[in-house]
Amino acid sequence: MQNKVVSSMLRQCLAVMRREVYYLWRDKGLRKILLAGSLLGLLVFYATYSAQVLKGIPTAIVDLDCSRESRQLVEDISNTENLKVVANPGSFAEVEELIQRGEVVVGVVIPENYAKSVSLRRQVNLAVIIDGSNMIYATNAANTVLAITGTINAQAGIKTLIAGGMHPDQAREAFSSVTFREEPWFNPTLNYAYFLVLALALNVWQQCCMLTACMNIIGETGRKSWSLLKAAGVSKFMFFFSKSIVQIALFILTVLPVYYLSFNVFKLPLACSFWVFLLFTLAFALALHATGTLVSSFSRNAVNSTRFGMIIAVPSFILCGYTWPLEAMPQIVQQAAWVLPQTWFFQGINYLTFKDPGWTFMAPFFSALLVIAVLSYTAAALIASRS
Amino acid sequence: MEPVVRVTDLVQKIGKRIILDGVNLEVYKGECFGLFGLRGAGKTALLHILAGIDRFRSGRVEVLGYDARKSERFKHRLGLVTQEKSLFQDLRAAENLDFLTALKNASRENCYRVIERFQLTDYLKLPVTALEAGVYQRLALACALLNEPELLLGDDLFQSIDPASRHIILRELREYLACGGTCILSFNNMDAYSKTDLYSIISRVGWLEQGRLTVYQPGEAREQWEDRLKSFAEQSGELHA
Repeated sequence: MQNKVVSSMLRQCLAVMRREVYYLWRDKGLRKILLAGSLLGLLVFYATYSAQVLKGIPTAIVDLDCSRESRQLVEDISNTENLKVVANPGSFAEVEELIQRGEVVVGVVIPENYAKSVSLRRQVNLAVIIDGSNMIYATNAANTVLAITGTINAQAGIKTLIAGGMHPDQAREAFSSVTFREEPWFNPTLNYAYFLVLALALNVWQQCCMLTACMNIIGETGRKSWSLLKAAGVSKFMFFFSKSIVQIALFILTVLPVYYLSFNVFKLPLACSFWVFLLFTLAFALALHATGTLVSSFSRNAVNSTRFGMIIAVPSFILCGYTWPLEAMPQIVQQAAWVLPQTWFFQGINYLTFKDPGWTFMAPFFSALLVIAVLSYTAAALIASRS
Repeated sequence: MEPVVRVTDLVQKIGKRIILDGVNLEVYKGECFGLFGLRGAGKTALLHILAGIDRFRSGRVEVLGYDARKSERFKHRLGLVTQEKSLFQDLRAAENLDFLTALKNASRENCYRVIERFQLTDYLKLPVTALEAGVYQRLALACALLNEPELLLGDDLFQSIDPASRHIILRELREYLACGGTCILSFNNMDAYSKTDLYSIISRVGWLEQGRLTVYQPGEAREQWEDRLKSFAEQSGELHA
């Protein structure tokens, strides 16, 4: 008798799962979004960040001194990898205009009497103007200019010491006694592609998944066929459980090509084992699906459910602290962010791809995602059973 | 004899509007009960309550010996054809039958039997959205009969269907009743129904109006309807003209 009940339940589960596959496959719009959305995202983002680091920032230099020293300085700036001198205007006003028009990002003005002041060991004021309207350009330009000015300062200091009677070797040693050796770990070349491409593609993927999950309950209860399902006396738990298995399996299937391309073709870093990474993705898929299911349980119709889902999914990437640190956000925003599964996921993948911090460190991330999943599914079940 | 359906003082409201206002009804095994009412009278609301789809405000509803509020076990012995097209729109005809066979724990033999009896073989590969009204209704009734239900609820089964499909559906309903099945069929057009063979198999007619149900013999119900039509005609001055 018990075997009969189990086998009939299994038969129902399989029928619901098969029907869910048909449903997802035959919804052409959803099919395209799910299959192509994240892959397309990965390709576009990889192409976007193919340069990997920002080089050749357009720079204008005004040399008002026209001395041997000032020409040497212009050459030093021109020789840096990150700056590219594209204009040599004659005045500060012209530099201002070039920056206004967006033709250059960095403007350097070498004042008159530059060589004379250096030789007399007087203070020289070099004007360096950076267009701050593009943060990425500005940050890179500022770092490069800082490095150049540091070198120039050191050279000037050494010359001063030599002029004061110090032996050249001693003067150089005096300036290199304290060295700052920069060692960017985990992403030594500060490669934008390593940092951003996978995260951006996964952001597209999680939005596509949220779209699907948002249809889980309302996609059935909002249809006329819901009457037949209710009249058939089918267990709601069995029904939605079977549907959910298919949807979560689909989420994982759609992310696999993204991972294959990322790690095998584009050679993006993955410090941890692939299986750990996939397990973490599965935990997130569960939490995300549960959140979408919760949204679909209280929404009045499919359109509203999609809207609610997107309200959560779209800003979550900004709120998750991946591109802007969570610690720099107001306390209340931080607290809200930690409620979202996306925050745990994107923070987690950053650790897993670059550092592989181990199970002990990652356990809270896995646990948080599973807790979000359990709570959201429970709330969705309660709401759905009462509606 | 224990009734298959027993409804006592049933009240149903949607918002502030009273849909069913103390409905009492008993339907017995082997009976074909006609549920008549104009559009919006509450026929669908009553059938949905009997099918366990909708909750109700007050009263008591027993279906196949089970309290509809406390148990869903009666649903496994129930068949339903809704007024709206409620088959799975994303599935083909065969897939609907297959899916509902599994959900209702019906046998494959039953599935093949209804396909044959309702002459659906030629339509199995078509999406349900592509089916004509008559074929759709045959498929809907075939799905409802998959689990050999003891009680069949049909909401406006014969609306806008072709004569061939009407004939097949009538034949199968007779067969169902002859095998001991019980059914409640709603309709909203007394003129059309009283001229069909179906009217001859209806044992009683429940007239639902302003939330209340009055039960008549089929002949009485038809007379009542004709009186009502005359009264409408007199009020509009049509008879004098």
